Amino acid sequence: MKKTKALLALLSTSSMVFSLAACGSSAYSTATTAAATGAGTATTAAAAESTPAQPAGAASKDALKVMMETPVQSLDPQQATDGTSFEVIADYTDGLMQMDKDGKAVNALAESYEVSDDGLTWTFKIRKDANWSNGTPVTAKDFVFGWQRAVDPNVASEYSYMLSDIGQIKNAAEIIAGKKDKSELGVTAVDDKTLKVELNSPVSYFTSLMYFPTFYPVNEEFFNSCADTFGTSPETTLSNGAFILDSYEPAATEFHLSKNENYYDASKIQLAGLDYQVIQDSQTALMSYQNGELDMTLVNGDQVDQVKDDPAFKAIGAGYLWYVSPNIKEVPELANDNIRKALTFAIDREAITSNILKDGSKPTYTAVPMDFAAGPDGSDFSADQTKFQDVCASDTAKAAEYWKKGLEELGKDSINLEMVVDADDAPQKVATVLQEQWQSTLPGLTISLKVEPKKQRVKDLQDGNYQLGLTRWGPDYADPMTYLGMWVTDNSNNYGFWSNADYDAIIKECTTGDLATDAKGRWAKLYDAEKIVMDNSVIFPLYTQCNAEMVSTKVSGVEFHPVALNRVYKNAVKSE
Amino acid sequence: MKKYITKRVLTSLFTLLVILLVLFILMQLMPGSPFNDEKLNDSQRAALYAKYGLDQPIFIQFLNYVKNMLTGDFGVSYNISKNTPISQLIQTRLPISINIGGAAVAFGAILGLILGLIAALKHDTWVDTLCTVISVIGVSVPSYVFALLLSYQFGFKFKWFPMLFDARLALKSSVLPSVSLSMFTLASIARFTRSEMLEVLGSDYMLLAESKGISGFSLIFRHALRNALIPIVTVLAPLIVDLMTGSLVVEKIFAIPGVGSLLVNAIQSNDYNVVISLAFIYSAMYIAIMLAVDILYGIIDPRIRLAKDGK
Amino acid sequence: MIMLKKNEPAAATTTSVAAYIPADADFQLKNDQNGISIDSNFASQSFWKDVSIRFFRKRSAVIGLIFVLLITLMAVIGPHLNQYNYSAQNLAEKNLAPRIQGIEYLGIFDGSETMITTTGTKKVNNYANEKLIHTFYWFGSDKYGRDIWTRTWSGTRVSLIIAVAATIIDMVIGMSYGLISGYFGGKTDMAMQRILEIMNGIPRLVIVTLLLLVLHPGMITIIFALMLTEWVGMSRIARAEMLKLKEQEFVLASKTLGAGSFHIIFREILPNIIGPIITQVMFSIPTAIFTEAFLSFVGLGIPVPQCSLGSLISEGYNSFTTHAYQIVPPIIVMALLMLSFNLIADGLREALDPKLKEM
Repeated sequence: MKKTKALLALLSTSSMVFSLAACGSSAYSTATTAAATGAGTATTAAAAESTPAQPAGAASKDALKVMMETPVQSLDPQQATDGTSFEVIADYTDGLMQMDKDGKAVNALAESYEVSDDGLTWTFKIRKDANWSNGTPVTAKDFVFGWQRAVDPNVASEYSYMLSDIGQIKNAAEIIAGKKDKSELGVTAVDDKTLKVELNSPVSYFTSLMYFPTFYPVNEEFFNSCADTFGTSPETTLSNGAFILDSYEPAATEFHLSKNENYYDASKIQLAGLDYQVIQDSQTALMSYQNGELDMTLVNGDQVDQVKDDPAFKAIGAGYLWYVSPNIKEVPELANDNIRKALTFAIDREAITSNILKDGSKPTYTAVPMDFAAGPDGSDFSADQTKFQDVCASDTAKAAEYWKKGLEELGKDSINLEMVVDADDAPQKVATVLQEQWQSTLPGLTISLKVEPKKQRVKDLQDGNYQLGLTRWGPDYADPMTYLGMWVTDNSNNYGFWSNADYDAIIKECTTGDLATDAKGRWAKLYDAEKIVMDNSVIFPLYTQCNAEMVSTKVSGVEFHPVALNRVYKNAVKSE
Repeated sequence: MKKYITKRVLTSLFTLLVILLVLFILMQLMPGSPFNDEKLNDSQRAALYAKYGLDQPIFIQFLNYVKNMLTGDFGVSYNISKNTPISQLIQTRLPISINIGGAAVAFGAILGLILGLIAALKHDTWVDTLCTVISVIGVSVPSYVFALLLSYQFGFKFKWFPMLFDARLALKSSVLPSVSLSMFTLASIARFTRSEMLEVLGSDYMLLAESKGISGFSLIFRHALRNALIPIVTVLAPLIVDLMTGSLVVEKIFAIPGVGSLLVNAIQSNDYNVVISLAFIYSAMYIAIMLAVDILYGIIDPRIRLAKDGK
Repeated sequence: MIMLKKNEPAAATTTSVAAYIPADADFQLKNDQNGISIDSNFASQSFWKDVSIRFFRKRSAVIGLIFVLLITLMAVIGPHLNQYNYSAQNLAEKNLAPRIQGIEYLGIFDGSETMITTTGTKKVNNYANEKLIHTFYWFGSDKYGRDIWTRTWSGTRVSLIIAVAATIIDMVIGMSYGLISGYFGGKTDMAMQRILEIMNGIPRLVIVTLLLLVLHPGMITIIFALMLTEWVGMSRIARAEMLKLKEQEFVLASKTLGAGSFHIIFREILPNIIGPIITQVMFSIPTAIFTEAFLSFVGLGIPVPQCSLGSLISEGYNSFTTHAYQIVPPIIVMALLMLSFNLIADGLREALDPKLKEM
């Protein structure tokens, strides 16, 4: 009923346009007061809980002012899927583990953990002083509830496969498929502060999954009290982390978090709070940064020329691998190995990153991108970019040679191909350059671009309804498998429907087979798998994405990660 | 007149229902699906479809939607803000868009009217040319270029107005977006006023009025402008709706939490309920304004017999 | 005037019923001692000749026409005036400021630009830095190293085609729809207006983006999308004008004389409302160009590497704070085009208006 009234009010406002236009200024002031009071009550309520003495305005004064490109999609840890949402959820929620500044997993809500000798049972001890912001303690049950939600078919969490395929938690796959009840998930609360997890097979990177928001706890009682509105306002979120959400509304363009004084690690938190501002226009963002309205902002493309001499300018690894996926199964021209080789050799990756993107992105010649997965000896999996140089490099002469050979085999002298591209700025720029590089290097080739919103692009690719597709993949966890797992037969993101039995065997061996516990042997095998992908030109890797970020010199200690949580503010300091 | 208005309101309601149905069909034609993420598998997708009732036949979906709508439930968002009720999503955004758009319409219409009047009265002089040039610039430079220019000059350089929208300073931070949005309205109203006024000023009854000794001010406002108003109102009406339902680009530049960017995002991410409800609000506003305009015609010019009462 | 003359034979036939055969003398002027001069010159001119004389007498209209012709000419030959083509990229020569042979010695168009960086303002000349002594980009080059001169003119070509298509659609569909709806009134009007409301009540953005997602993007699709949405404004103007005029005396006169509905609509009323209609056409041109530009902005416009004035403006917009010169040429061409169209419209309006006819 209340909603109807609100709607009626909206509609009547709209029909009163003339009067509204006439008394525009008074309408403004009412709206302002309403908004201000709304925000005001929220802030005071939150402030009253933590430190009654501190007025709401003062907190935001020394808060860190951060720019985001896109609004938050969901504050429900089991529903969220994008980096922005993850970052904000992690601001006010801790998992069992958290990331240190190098991206390694360190204890957070877990005080300690044990793993059985066969690697199949993990037991976590939860801190005694960990509390939710409504005063109730964080218990093992909260984790059980959260994890059960993640696999519940009714919740349909997109990241449920983190528990099943990746985490190998017992019965997860069956529950997701609807064959078992969610209560049978291999996770139990032994007592209030002890959580036991059972796995199907050992998972070497299990601790690094624990900082992933899908594995965060949710307080069942609180969740039920919010009914369907969980995570849509400060009142319907609960904090157990370094900050508390003060003001927020769905898809807000600005919102605020302040320090959680009752956080178990509160003495180490130096920021008074976080001021988030969503700005989609990069030119406005940079101007705001220059005016001091932001402490951190992203810059892109030619803007880098404006800021490259500034000590605040940083290129930060984002982990994403951008690549072109040829449709090997459906397009006869692309089924030809020489044509694919010609296409990949014709790409001048250096020109794309240094002349167009300029944000520090690195040309990549491997199927697994750089700087996110460190091996048993601590070295980066893809540090050596020349290892596949005989099948993937930038060499126009070689490209022309392969092209000629390929055309002869096909008995054609010209080929038309269409490339599907996201309707975003960066992919369109890259595609424009690729189109030109291919057409000018390979005689007889015509490339047309089909620009689509991302949802449609993904559907076209997954349905195999495309010829060439420009796409990207971000790592979900710090292991090469997050990429290599993609090209097994029948994986929905193996867009080209490529299939190779040897490859499938290696991947199987490395995930559930004998090699799952042998870190070194597994690592070596993963190289073999990557080699098969590269030898067959299953993808044309382009670059590993970096973000060009301005971080004011007054700010230090913000931690950037390419995986899971892109920005962590727990150790950040802002000086005046 | 009363009978006519009742009839019009009823047909308008029916039109709205038809529009809603058309929107539903359009959503079906839309390629892609709201649950098209790389990480979802087929069974999960099917579960999501079932959860939101999207697996049902289109007509059943439509009936359910109308039924829920009558109880004030517009459904939830699938993508933009997952599982958030639409009413919650737009209740703060719509007033912001209406305010900024309304101010833009008012500003543009008033200034445009003045500019057009001056141009018509000083027909074929340099004043006329100047007004023409101003209005031509208004239509040929897109609002986002104005927006960025204004933001650069008055926000960044002079710091007179905030560059980013701030709900606490709603009035002050609406100035730049409203002005940049009003340029097109200003220009088209100025052009139309000028051409209409020229027409009216050259007509016989104006000659008569003049010869009757009616003086300047009254002549222009009571006799001339009134007759020129019909086409002006006609041009203005759809502009009002367009402006008040938000503008993607201006919202992007000033970081305004309005509904324009919401609609574009919703279309691009197949967020059906958001598209339908925003489009529906647009339609309702549009039809309401058209109704108002038709009634206004009769008031402005009594010669127009809308209802054909006499026959 | 014309109307009376046209109806003369009709009057003659009615009188013939009375069995009176008029003699030549009946049409002689009586007492014509002073030799009253009859302007045979005026009568011998056709309507269109008349219009063109009056049009060319107005200087501003002629200037407008010259500009439109010039811009059209440039749209045809402009891209061929230098060695560049609109799609070829040269990443080594990207973001070069305008430089023109000869004029560069005057200190303008010499290829230097002022960069405002976060660490201060500096003046750079990338032609010198990159040793491009013999390279000239008259309007500068964009972020891919494409020549903006060539792109501006080929973009003008695309935009002109879109504009012309939009105008024709406006004239044909929109005007007829509005005139018919307004003239017949009553139930016809009610039904036609409801259809229009449904068409127009759905946000244009929804229809256009959907269309472009379903169909293959390209010029034809864009024109088709415009066709579906653009005519509505015109039909509303035409209807409003019709409502204003249809109860007036000359319509009544024409009706009494037995003229058919279509004759009245298109021959009697249309010439009287040509002013506002032409003004509306002139506005539908920029609207069409901008709808296309907006589609470019959301990535659904003319497919790259082709360009239009609209897509050039939105490309230039992205470099506005870094390389401001990139947005200038398309905006200037656009503004000139609009100004000229407006001047022509003004001239045409006056030339076509039968009420303003001088005797």
